[in-house]
Amino acid sequence: MLTSEGLEEIEATRAEEPSARHALLTALRVTQRERHKVGPEEIEYIAGLLGLSPAIVEGVARFYDQITASPTGQHIVRVCGGITCYLSQSDRVAQDLKGFLGIADGEETSPDGEFTVRLVECIGDCDHAPAGMLDDRFVGPLDERALRTISER
Amino acid sequence: MADFLTRHTKDPAQKKLDTARGRGAYEGFRRALAMSRQEVVAEIDASGLRGRGGAGFPTGRKWSFIHAKEGQSVYLLCNADESEPGTFKDHHLMTFDPHLVLEGVAVGAYAIGAHRAYIYLRGEYASIAETLAAALREATAAGIIGQSCLGSGYDLSVGLQLGAGAYICGEETGLIQSLEGKRAYPRVRPPFPAVHGFLREPTVVNNVETLACAARIMAEGAEAFARLGTRQSAGTKLISVSGAVERPGVYEVEMGYPLMQFLSHEAGGISGGRRLKAIIPGGTSVPVLTAEEAAPLTIDYESMLSAGTMLGSGGMIVFGDGTSMPHALLRIAEFYAHESCGECTPCREGTGWMAWVLRRLLAGEGRPGDLGLLLRVGDNIEGRTICGLGDASVQPVRSFIRKFRQEFEALAPLPVAFPAWQLHGHGPRTGRFGPPVEEAAQSQPVEGPPDYVL
Ligand SMILES: Cc1cc2nc3c(=O)[nH]c(=O)nc-3n(C[C@H](O)[C@H](O)[C@H](O)COP(=O)(O)O)c2cc1C
Ligand code: SF4
Ligand code: FES
Repeated sequence: MLTSEGLEEIEATRAEEPSARHALLTALRVTQRERHKVGPEEIEYIAGLLGLSPAIVEGVARFYDQITASPTGQHIVRVCGGITCYLSQSDRVAQDLKGFLGIADGEETSPDGEFTVRLVECIGDCDHAPAGMLDDRFVGPLDERALRTISER
Repeated sequence: MADFLTRHTKDPAQKKLDTARGRGAYEGFRRALAMSRQEVVAEIDASGLRGRGGAGFPTGRKWSFIHAKEGQSVYLLCNADESEPGTFKDHHLMTFDPHLVLEGVAVGAYAIGAHRAYIYLRGEYASIAETLAAALREATAAGIIGQSCLGSGYDLSVGLQLGAGAYICGEETGLIQSLEGKRAYPRVRPPFPAVHGFLREPTVVNNVETLACAARIMAEGAEAFARLGTRQSAGTKLISVSGAVERPGVYEVEMGYPLMQFLSHEAGGISGGRRLKAIIPGGTSVPVLTAEEAAPLTIDYESMLSAGTMLGSGGMIVFGDGTSMPHALLRIAEFYAHESCGECTPCREGTGWMAWVLRRLLAGEGRPGDLGLLLRVGDNIEGRTICGLGDASVQPVRSFIRKFRQEFEALAPLPVAFPAWQLHGHGPRTGRFGPPVEEAAQSQPVEGPPDYVL
């Protein structure tokens, strides 16, 4: 289910930490990165991998916003909706970006499964409002040029 | 502008160990290692350093609470969760001077007798974690961190952990829970982390900036730090300023620096030539200041306290005139409703209610008495929760309504046939950025502020 690289990352954390439970957050992050979701199958898998009850894995998974039950696109664009970015009209930016990427109203992911656009809380880059992230990179301010660059990837 | 912490952050080469060491990196740690633990704690205590994560608790005192019994392990946790809206100073520090942060972690760990430390970063800071990991590899290869640090016989290993998207992981016991692979439900205190922390062992949680200060203090001596700032606020503070200013960014100022001077000089003035309307000085969890209230203040703990607010994280959010304060407050209230972990009832329910009532006010469906209701819900949260998020959520609501009352009253008693709100029942779960699903069909969508400033 995971790449050998992903498995190694989880194994390394587990080896370094006092118990398997301590590698759970890392396992969830790796799984989300590689599978773009942590649904029932992934939960069973992680539970087996770490020797934990699936209930525990699911309970932790559903606590964190970046771990999603349903699949996201290959790339995630996070548009900051925090107070500073909101005042610089980031909700409209998110709307425009969805338009560029052909994401329907009320949806988050483009029909080709390439991009998910998500409004999130403050991402700690408020001096680049309206701030945004393309996967793990900060790409704010999300002006028209930034939006073009994203949608042309 | 001061440069106690940010002396070298403008040079991209500072990330490299060689460059950083050429400028004295890890000399503070070396000096600490030559002293006893107690002496290091005393030095930090003498410097007057107070925690930069928000609460301003004296760092030396916090470290002195650690008394490990035979067979106990001690842990130092560096709080790099930085999720307080408007705060991005740790982001800056870790990106541009990762070795200073690592040195701070090493100094703190040595001072409390920890042989294992963790840096816990919010999930969005994955790229910063890579910067730190690279710095850590260099420092380990150079024998600075690891077995017998700098040949002293003291062992230290440092782990990096990324979160996965939850504000509450910044709260110290939430952080501990998350690090243990659990839901980040904060713990009831006492027992405090100094007694029962990570793995139920004695633990100190410190902010990134606090530890960076500690490293510099060990390098330059307590006196160099204590000389800066004011009597109750020694040293410098990183201020991350955003919103309606010409030059948003991270600036280091000496404590006691005049707020208005900071806004005009460092931050470049209010954007678009507008007038200042309000400032939140330390992240959304502290009360807002009107322009008049802010005018005479200086950037330090006591000045902010005298005006009924707090320096907090130093996350300064500036509002220019024309900003709709009710809209701004709704966005802030939604943040707390979304980020409440749900462990205790007053916060879980109350934050949702505050956002919900604000939303109906802004949708033109307010009821007479709604402002009073908001304040009452706040009163019922404050002081009745497990962690500080509950109290934090009340500060903006209370201060915005009291200080910008007319704007709220203009919304308040509307003669509207409102839909069937169930005042005594459970309100619908608040949607993230829009009205609750059930409500959406019945109410007008909330529009953005009528007059944007930025
Ligand atoms: C809801 C909540 C969120 C917090 N978030 C952070 C944070 O992101 N970073 C931080 O350093 N402290 C945060 N704190 C404060 C920590 O609980 C803790 O006081 C701090 O890390 C202690 O470090 P210091 O003594 O160096 O300031 C938060 C507190 C609360 C109540
Ligand atoms: S106050 Fe809020 S965030 Fe803190 S423990 Fe209670 S419900 Fe969770
Ligand atoms: S409010 Fe958008 S990054 Fe902070």
